[in-house]
Amino acid sequence: MIHTTRLVFSNSKYALLASVIFSTMLFGLLLASGYVFLEPSVVGHVPGGSEFGLLLIIALCFLSALVIPMNVFRVIAIKSSKRKMGGGVLGSIIGAASGACSCGPIGFAVISTFGSIGATASAFLTNYEIPIRVGAIAVLLLTYYTTVRSLRIECRVNQQFD
Amino acid sequence: MIIMGVIAVGVIAALAASYSPSPEAANLDMGRTHGDVSTAMGSPILGDPAAPVTIVEFGDYQCHQCYNWFHDTKPSISKDYIDPGKANLVFVDLAFLGRDSVTAAQASYCAEEQGKYWEYHDLLYDSQEPQIDNGWANKERLAAFAFSLGLDLELFESCLDSGKYVKRVQYNIAQAKAQGASGTPTFVIVGPEGQQEKIVGAQPYSVFKQVIDSMV
Repeated sequence: MIHTTRLVFSNSKYALLASVIFSTMLFGLLLASGYVFLEPSVVGHVPGGSEFGLLLIIALCFLSALVIPMNVFRVIAIKSSKRKMGGGVLGSIIGAASGACSCGPIGFAVISTFGSIGATASAFLTNYEIPIRVGAIAVLLLTYYTTVRSLRIECRVNQQFD
Repeated sequence: MIIMGVIAVGVIAALAASYSPSPEAANLDMGRTHGDVSTAMGSPILGDPAAPVTIVEFGDYQCHQCYNWFHDTKPSISKDYIDPGKANLVFVDLAFLGRDSVTAAQASYCAEEQGKYWEYHDLLYDSQEPQIDNGWANKERLAAFAFSLGLDLELFESCLDSGKYVKRVQYNIAQAKAQGASGTPTFVIVGPEGQQEKIVGAQPYSVFKQVIDSMV
């Protein structure tokens, strides 16, 4: 598993992609979830009792940064199908959406635009924020496992044909 | 002639009655503003009305970030600025998260009628549950909160059922939007010269201290 992961990230392009995904997602989610504020000055703040939520965000960003570049590698380097990439992207989107829709500007925009339907959707994503994030992490872990397995098989097949 | 006179007196009396201020309006200072913000329909002022700095909070009783601010930051602000008379606080509803948000905001004004706005406000934030519209702020629970504060329950329930504060809450929401609030909590800090600074989100005490100290 580690060998396959190292194989992908030994290429600096994929390492760079992973760091861009991680930093962008982390910054966006910390901002949307109220852990980081930009005005009137840049400040970070972890309210008491929300440490677990922060841990889940970091885990989500780390796994997304791991899984998405590996799937991009599969598609580009091994010319594999794009089908299995869906899990990583889906997991990232679900996990991100769960935290973004609450009291913040994204939730406000959704509710202002879609009225009671938006409010119901936003309330659902807020009420089940932690279980949804845990679910998204599970999806990403599963995607990581299947990606590594398929990379191992596909690389072996390609080596046999070379 | 007498009949005409009676009719005229009746008409005048009816007109006078229709223009007399309602009990709700009678308690409000319709011209109250802090900086650019009309706080006329907001909460009563917490702290010294003559304090040099006013903190206007746009909030929702179901917002967990407002809950965080209420428990993490507000106690220090109360101790260092509101209690010594250096600042005061006005709460303006931006009740948008769910149907119970609007009902809870109305309930706070029903408590105000009985002189316990801030006690009720604090009780709502102390009693907030993480889930939106799960029933923690439905009419029965709001009445139970009123009962626990020793309010006249019959008066409170008839006030809440009448929906007399719907427009007040709507006005506050419109005012929050006009101030560019796009989430809760949003704060506008108004200094003694009318200078304003906006703080978005449940930011830590250090941020508020920095802004308030720079104004006085």
